[in-house]
Amino acid sequence: MATDRAAMTSPSIDVEGIRAEFPILEREVHGKPLVYLDNAATTQRPLRVIEAIDRFYRHTNANVHRGVHQLSVEASEQFESARTALARFLNAPSEREIVFTRGTTEAINLVANSFVRPKIKPGDEILITHMEHHANIVPWQMLAEATGAVLKVAPIDEKGVLDVEALKGLMNERTQLLGVVHVSNALGTINPVGEICALAQRQGIPVLVDGSQATPHLTIDVQALGCDFYCLSGHKMYGPTGIGALWAKAEHLEAMPPWQGGGEMIRHVSFEKTTYNDIPQKFEAGTPNIAGAIGLAAAIDFIEKTGIEAIAAHEMGLLHYATEQLNGFEGLRIIGQADQKGPVVSFVLEGAHANDIGTIVDHFGVAIRTGHHCAMPAMQFFGVAATARASFAVYNRRQEVDVFVDALKRAQDMLKP
Amino acid sequence: MTLDQLYQQRILEHNQHPQHFGPLPSATHRGRGIDALCGDDIEVALVVEAGKVVEAKFSGEACAVTKASASMLMTWLIGRPVTEVAMAYGAFQQLLANPQAPANELLGELNDLQPVGAFPARRGNAFLPWQATLEALGPELSQST
Repeated sequence: MATDRAAMTSPSIDVEGIRAEFPILEREVHGKPLVYLDNAATTQRPLRVIEAIDRFYRHTNANVHRGVHQLSVEASEQFESARTALARFLNAPSEREIVFTRGTTEAINLVANSFVRPKIKPGDEILITHMEHHANIVPWQMLAEATGAVLKVAPIDEKGVLDVEALKGLMNERTQLLGVVHVSNALGTINPVGEICALAQRQGIPVLVDGSQATPHLTIDVQALGCDFYCLSGHKMYGPTGIGALWAKAEHLEAMPPWQGGGEMIRHVSFEKTTYNDIPQKFEAGTPNIAGAIGLAAAIDFIEKTGIEAIAAHEMGLLHYATEQLNGFEGLRIIGQADQKGPVVSFVLEGAHANDIGTIVDHFGVAIRTGHHCAMPAMQFFGVAATARASFAVYNRRQEVDVFVDALKRAQDMLKP
Repeated sequence: MTLDQLYQQRILEHNQHPQHFGPLPSATHRGRGIDALCGDDIEVALVVEAGKVVEAKFSGEACAVTKASASMLMTWLIGRPVTEVAMAYGAFQQLLANPQAPANELLGELNDLQPVGAFPARRGNAFLPWQATLEALGPELSQST
């Protein structure tokens, strides 16, 4: 795990220097300096991302892959170099294995419709875990409903740790795909994806990894993980919204039929027959989010230059500090206490509903997420309808944890009987 | 609008000691209000006789604003003709939409919820008990029109 390596080497980062790159962090909310602790919902963007998008529209804007004029050539080059940057970031063997999507959700839906759907039969199974985000539940449910397949769910324990033995027990010859989240957005749990992939591989089960919460915090090496599909969202990793990607093994992409039809994904069209483009363009129908991809490349540059291990070490420091502080609260229960966690702390506080906590801390400038975090089954497992969640990013300071904890005390005092 | 106006004493009191809270086995009408996003899930149970609400209770789990709104609404509902409810909900929505709106006589204590209007993310909480009530009264309302 990157976090282990980070802890060993203890690289440090210049938080104040990093903060200077994020203009939004200068603003105030309700007259107080913004303390942004809702990073698992979406991170903020550094200037280099904002400027890359701005520069593209001011200077380069043209459609990609279809013009001989200079702007189109430049736009195509920049768009394709974003693909190359992403392939390097994931240690993918080839940029041909990177399909740009709107985000993780679309990437999962693409796999559901183009990889699993053509081969699944009634009685076949799709295996997921109890801690999945709705994005890695609902597409499979829809597919199961349409095809007569069955959705199987591997259990978690009281700490929010996946029961890998039980997961193994649920793998069988009917399992057409295993979908697993790398880092849980609601609980923080980091799943042992490498180990899970090895187990699945022995049974010939393809594995899809929802990496949306992992890419901003961990070193991702899709070859070392041994998965078949890896999905990510740009906006969770300092990039723009509306851009994400699916990494898939080339052999899968070659064999998969296109999902959406249109321009860009074709080679030749007549009314009698259409031949499709090569991968990955075969899966990129229509004009893509060009500026988004270029912005995402700038976000990758930000992460790589800052150093993912330094980022992780800093965030783990914040997580541990926040966890310590929260443990001092009477009536507070942390939901998700795995040993291996991303920088997320989810909790419930006796006598104070998450919604009220969210509103009150907001008035002290603190942005946290409250609710079910798009993981209702995980919430149901812990018997709670909603939690409050603080999630950290590279630009958060230790003092911000103090502001949050003080605001939480105010909320507790205000709401106490 | 300050936080203290939202979490004023009256709202906090209703949150901590909600009125008409608990099961109502004799209910003739039931409606459910769910705001899954924030985790509110309440049930409104009513006894309606001859077009009048004679008993009203709510149950479930919810935030302070929803609970206070439900608590006040249950108190308000008892003794009301069902035909008045939809009209009163319209008046309540208008009250929250305009912080300068004068108190509406029909709404009684529910006027105290006006500050919620200044918190757009929380307005839905104040409306949820009304929506559950209207769902419960659905058959009555369609009969009366």
